[in-house]
Order: sequence, then structure tokens, then C-alpha cells
Amino acid sequence: MSTESPEKAGDEGPSSGGAAGSAGGSRFDLDKETELRFEVEAGERVQLELLSGHGEVFGSELNRNKKYTFGPGSKIAVFTWQGCSLSLSGKTEVAYVSKDTPMLLYLNTHAALEQMRRQAERDNERGPRVMVVGPTDVGKTTLCRLLLNYAVRLGRRPTLVELDVGQSSVSVPGTMSALYIERPADVEEGFSVQAPLVFHFGSTTPGTNIKLYNKLTSCLAEVFSQRCEVNRKASVGGCIINTCGWVKGSGYQALVHCASAFQVDVVLVLDQERLYNELKRDLPHFVRVVLLPKSGGVVERSKDCRRETRDDKIREYFYGFRGSSFYPHAFDVRFSDVRIYKIGAPSIPDSCLPLGMSQDDTQLKLVPVSPGRDLTHHVLSVSCVEDDIEGGESRSRGILESPVCGFIVVTAVDTQAQVMTVLAPAPRPLPRHTLLIMDIRFIDLK
Amino acid sequence: MATNAIQSEPVRIDFCDELLSSSKLFQSRSRSHKIPVRGQKEFLPNDSERQKARLQKILDEHWTTVTEERVERVGNLVNAEWIPEKKIVTLQSRAGKFWQTMGFSDGGKQCLYPEEALYLMECGNVQVFYQDLPLSIQEGYESFLSAETVTYLQYQVFGHLKRLGYVVNRYNNRLCNKKSTASSEVSTGRHTGENKTNVQYSSLNYPGQIYRQIFQGKIPRSEPDSDGAPGRHWWTNITSKPQPDLFQPSVRCWDFSCIIFPDLGSHGADSACLPPPDPSLLPGALQVQECHMAHWCRNIDLQQEHSSKQTHSQNGRLCNINDDRMVHQCKNWDEYLKLVEERKSQQHNNRPTHLWKKEVLPLAYSRKCSSNRFYFILYDFCLLPPRLPDPEQWRIDFNLYQPDPEFKKSNPGKPSTRLCVCSFDGVVPDLRALQQLSFQSGDVPMTFAVVDHGDISFYSFKDFKLPTDVY
Repeated sequence: MSTESPEKAGDEGPSSGGAAGSAGGSRFDLDKETELRFEVEAGERVQLELLSGHGEVFGSELNRNKKYTFGPGSKIAVFTWQGCSLSLSGKTEVAYVSKDTPMLLYLNTHAALEQMRRQAERDNERGPRVMVVGPTDVGKTTLCRLLLNYAVRLGRRPTLVELDVGQSSVSVPGTMSALYIERPADVEEGFSVQAPLVFHFGSTTPGTNIKLYNKLTSCLAEVFSQRCEVNRKASVGGCIINTCGWVKGSGYQALVHCASAFQVDVVLVLDQERLYNELKRDLPHFVRVVLLPKSGGVVERSKDCRRETRDDKIREYFYGFRGSSFYPHAFDVRFSDVRIYKIGAPSIPDSCLPLGMSQDDTQLKLVPVSPGRDLTHHVLSVSCVEDDIEGGESRSRGILESPVCGFIVVTAVDTQAQVMTVLAPAPRPLPRHTLLIMDIRFIDLK
Repeated sequence: MATNAIQSEPVRIDFCDELLSSSKLFQSRSRSHKIPVRGQKEFLPNDSERQKARLQKILDEHWTTVTEERVERVGNLVNAEWIPEKKIVTLQSRAGKFWQTMGFSDGGKQCLYPEEALYLMECGNVQVFYQDLPLSIQEGYESFLSAETVTYLQYQVFGHLKRLGYVVNRYNNRLCNKKSTASSEVSTGRHTGENKTNVQYSSLNYPGQIYRQIFQGKIPRSEPDSDGAPGRHWWTNITSKPQPDLFQPSVRCWDFSCIIFPDLGSHGADSACLPPPDPSLLPGALQVQECHMAHWCRNIDLQQEHSSKQTHSQNGRLCNINDDRMVHQCKNWDEYLKLVEERKSQQHNNRPTHLWKKEVLPLAYSRKCSSNRFYFILYDFCLLPPRLPDPEQWRIDFNLYQPDPEFKKSNPGKPSTRLCVCSFDGVVPDLRALQQLSFQSGDVPMTFAVVDHGDISFYSFKDFKLPTDVY
């Protein structure tokens, strides 16, 4: 923010789609309120440099004359409010300038939210709690990032609540998390993940255990409210909730539940009028439901693409951004030292249940898993629950509602020696001994 | 004396009252002391003149027997003093033969329980003084019998059984007899609060009391007298302080007419034009132009038509919750969630009242019937007995021993039965009370002495085993 100056870029070039590159790259001169979109080809890297003017990537400002590197598969949009010139070097799949962006609408949305924060600050109230909903591939995560960046650039401290278990932007997939945002996202890496609150969900779609999904949503809401009580800045900053792209049936019910658990003030619906109308119908009138268009720049991601991003996310957890900064440890863990659980018992036909017992109870049950060969490559969450807590009911509830302190991956299982080899971010011993198994596997190939 | 009597008539009468003649004394001693037998007709009169006359005659007879003066030798009377503070009678002179089965020693003094003293007074064995004046039997009844000692009903049973020759003891003074040298302080405690002396009794009642307190929403406080102690203040302070609400109570609601969102779904959005936002609200103090929304309205995904039909047929929920007047009145989430909660609980309350609102409730609520909740059902069951019996109402009053010349107060042995005195007019003990008493009694059978205007009947329950099939 301090580097910013309201002056307009003086050396703005003529408006052109793609001017001839300089210094081994193509140069793009952008008009004001236009954006450059580009995708990086597989196996390639692209370097971006801001030559003049002001530009931002999803709300994070670009520094002038700094080279930003984007890895394979990245899909980037550089937007400028005032106009700028950029230089791209490397192989891009597509690169084009678009005038057709909804950024002005998003900016107006931010302005409204900021107005609410200001009012909250003045009246000693809580800030806006915003839920971003929409079907898959409409740019929910991007909109969240944009709004968070704008807020934090104005000195606010919003909280990102990540409920998208498939494509978490905070932690590994299969988790639900909350992150207190204190600085704008890094252009390359995204938000700095310092001390997020992560809960284990265990699967990449909420449909596998919707009961647990709703319960963890409530847990997050409760923790967030507790934080708001003690941290005035967090309270004024409010939160921005990123949700799953599943907007039908139970997925829709989960959205309504989330709205009431967090007591949201604003719901931003991206690109689906049907969802907008349904939410208007099912949420009380004091919740402002807003329909926003999606950006023309969003691209549909294939299943493979999603799986790849998930894999990358797990790899990033262990090896750091671009696999360069962290060095994970591999060591043996004896079966007898750990307790492994799976949340949710397999469902039984109703006719087999005892009289009056309902199926719901099985979804929140902890089922002990005996370690075997099939455990290999599974991601395990290390639960924060104290090891010495005993007693069935309270313990199982404790594990469900405890956050995760880290993740390990089982790389090999030796049933003879009763040990398994794990990949862990820290050297032995494990900080806790209660492990929760995920459906997600990670094979460490690179 | 005889000459004096002849001389003046009025003086003779006075004289006769003061000094009994030997003939009169002899007469009164040889007279039958038996109370005339009364039949059942007294209770079932048929209003005939003949029967009325006969009943009246019996009543008169009874009355004369009761009113006649007792004549006892002064040397046979044991003097005793009534001590109202301790509710006991201490003997002033040597005890008689009754000491074998009655009384106890306290601090080196021979004492009698009030019911024992009253019985002995009636028998003409003891003369009780209070403030150096002898008590009449009527005064004895008045001062000895109270709720703190024994009630009139209990005394009736006691006296009846004593007259039949049984040895009758208070149930909860077994410990006192052993501790015959106990200090007076202890003995006071034992008489005022009888529960204290009987460990078995009080421990049995304890769970019931706790349940009742929980049931009534009271927290059992161990020592009410230590309220003023500074160490106790920390928790009272906490409870008295209103807990901050988990969610900050937001009384306000956002005024969205001033806070403008670019909502493409709202009416007239296609022609609306957003004014440029205040630069101070934007990062880097951006200055942007107004925003025309018409362009975007065309690009919105209009899945609405066909898919909304689908969802409506699926859910059957066409209605907008905001059409509800109550929902519309809610200003914020707190109010709304409260309303939803209320409605939910009302739904539960729609169950038929004759099943769910009366004293007798189903053992388990259907929604609670899951394996992990089973514990709570049992818990509820313990908490919600149909009626909690008053622990004071039903208790064992007396131990009854067969007459035995070898009887020792210090080692009475196993009583032949234990007695619970109840009135014919009172409530019938419920099953719980019966079970509790028989459990308390252990292997000694329980007998219920039911008093009906002086008539005492005895009831007991016999255990038996249901016959089982033998293959």
C-alpha cells in the first residue's frame, strides 16, 4: 500500500492486444480497467514483469520490475485499474487482453463490505460475514481472494473460512479451515499460511459425510465467534466464506446451514440465478443475497486437473512451494504407538438397525482402523486431541471437534514388523498419537 | 375417722377425698382393671334403640374404667423428671423391673424415652415430675407425644404391643444403646435429628434427596452455613455474572438501502447504474467510474426456468420463508434462530397431551432411542420417578422382640419384626416406599401397623417366587 501512488502511469503505451516483446518476452500494454489473461502450458514456466503503471493479480499488487514466475497449469489474470504495461516471457497456452471483466462489480461489492466494516467499527458491532456461493468453476476462490486482498490492503483483518473440501486454498484437500488474513496474498504463492485452524473432514466431497461437514461448519463458526469476542479487529474484519461448488440437494442444505451457523450478513451468488432465487427464498430477509456475474476469464477445470491441483497442494504441504523450501522427514511408526480412526461407520440398511435407532448416528462415529497394507499412500491427519483423554463418548466427540495439528502420509506398511513408514513435516516423534484417515491418497513421485 | 365422719357430713366428704380408707383402698385394688371388650357394632351401628342402649352402656363402662383413680403404693412408684429440652425422662430413684427391657443410660443417668415413660405412667410404675410437680397422665400425653419424639399413632401401637408383652424398641436407637456412655452432646443430636444417628438410614435416603434437588433444579450445597466464607465466592461470582453471549448480540440490522451491492438479481438491475464508490473505501484510493449493470445482466446463467421446476417437485417447498409474518419481524439471526428453535420445540409439543403431559410419562422418548443415548434414558428414568416419596413419611419406627426373660438391651439380638406405623386415613405407601423399607429392614420382616381410630391392624408382605417350568 505504501508503494502506491495515485499518479497515473505516465508512459502508457498505445492500447494494443499484444505488442512486440522486449527482452525475450512479449509486451502487453493494458488500458485502464482491462485485464491480461494467460495460462501456462504444462511443463512450462512463465515470467511476468510489470514494466510501468499499476497492476494486480486477484487483488495483490504487482511490484514494478520484479519477475514473477508462474508454474505449469497456472491460470492468471492481471488486472489494471489505471493501465499498465507488462512483459511475459515463457510459453503460454493463451494470452490475451480482455476488456470484459466484472471487476468493477466486484470492486463495488468490496466498497459495500468496507462500508459495513466502517459502520461496525463505529458502532462497536461485528463486521460483515460474507458467504460466497456458486456452482463449480465460476471463480469463487478468486473472488474470495480478491475481496480479502482489498480488505487487508485497507488495514482490515478479515478471516478466510475455507469450506471447499475438494480444492482447499489453505490446507491439504479434505479439510475445512479458517485463516486469519494479515497481509495480502503473495502473487505467486497465495495467502501465507500461518497458524490456520484446520479440521479434518477426510474426503474431497461433502457428500460422503454431510453430517460431519455440517458439524465441522458449526465448529468453525463457533471458534470464529470466540475469536471475534476477544479480537476486535477480527470481529470488525468479518469473514469471507468460500464454499463448495455443490449447490443441489444436500449441498444446498449445507449452504443454508452454513449461513445460519455463521450468521452471515451477505451472500454473494456467482453466476446462477436459480441458486440466487432459492437462497432468497430460504434465508431470512435481513440476509442480503447478491447475484454477481462470473468473469469471462474463468475456465472449466477437468477432473484430472482438479486431482492434480489436489496432489500439488499435498506436495506443497510437505515440500513447500514449488517443492523447494521444505524437507520432510521419513521415519517408522509402530502400530502400537498410534491409534488410527476413520470418521463415519459404513451405513447399515435400516432394517438391520435396532428399533428406534437412526442412521445418522453412524456418520459421526469413530471407527478404529487396524493398520494394514491398504493404508499405504493414505493421508492421515494428526489430531490435536490430547492423548491421555480416555472414555468412549467424550473422547470420540473430542476427536471430531479437535483441530488438526498436521498431516502425514503413509509411504509403506510392514505388517510383519508392525510398523509403517510415514512422511512427516517434522522429525519424530509424532506430536500426538491419534490419527484420522483420509480417503485421499498421495503418491510421492516427484 | 369414722366418728369424725358421723359428726359432720361435709367435712367427711373432704376427708374421704384426702385420706383413703383401707376398705376403699382394698376395693380399688381388687377391682378389675380390664377395659371392657368392645365389639364391631360400635363402628357399624344399625340405629336400633336396643343396640344404641347397649353401645351406650359399653361406652359408659369404658369411660368409668378410664376415669377411675389409680391406686399404687408410693414405694412401688419410681420417681422421674421430665426434661423437655432433651425430650427424655431421667429417673430420680432406682428403676424397677422394667429396666430390663426399657430405658437407656446417658452420662451415668438412667433415662427413659417419652413413650416408655408414658407407658410406665399408665401402668402405674413411674411418677414423672416436672418442675417438682407430678404430671398427670393427660399431661403426660400432652407433653411427651410430639412429632419430634413419637406421635400419638406410634404411641398407640407401642402401647398396644407393650401391653401384649412384646419388647418394643425404637428402630433407630440401636446405636445409642451400645454407646451408653456417650456424651450428652451426642445424645442431644440423636434425639433431635434421628437421621444422624442411623447411618444406614441416612445413606439410603441420600440419593433420593440428590435426585430431587437435581429435579427441582437446585444444586446440592454441602454446607449452607459456609456461604460467607471467602473461598466460596469465586463460583458464586461467576454464576451471578451474566455470561457474555457466544455470538455477539447484534441488535442492529444492516441498512442495505444505504449499502449498495451490485446485485444483478434485483428488480431493475438491467437499467441501473452504480455510482462510483467513495475512493476512501477502495484500496489505493482508486477512482473509478460508474458501473452500468445492464451489460452483465445478459451474461448471467439463466438456468432458472427448467431447474426451478425440478427442485420444486423434489422438495415441495414453494414458499418463501420471508412470507411468514413472524420471520419477517425478525431483525437479525439471533431472533430468527430463536424463532426457529421455538417452532421446533412446538412441534415436539404437538404430541397428544394424555401421553406426554401427565404425571406418567413414557419411559423413553422415541427420538432418544439410540444406543449411545441409552445411558441418558436410564438417567432420565432415575430422575423422573412418578412421585418422589418424602423420606420422612415412611420409615421404620420400632423393633419388636418376642418376650424373653433373657432379653438384654445391650444385645437384643435380631428383632422378630420391624414396624412401620401408618394411619388408616393416610396415603397408602407406594411400591417404592415398600421396597425401600424392606430393603432397609434387611432380613427382618417388615410389618405395617395400621391404626384406625384406636384399632390396630398389622399387615405384612410375604415374598414368594413365581413358579417356573421345570423340564
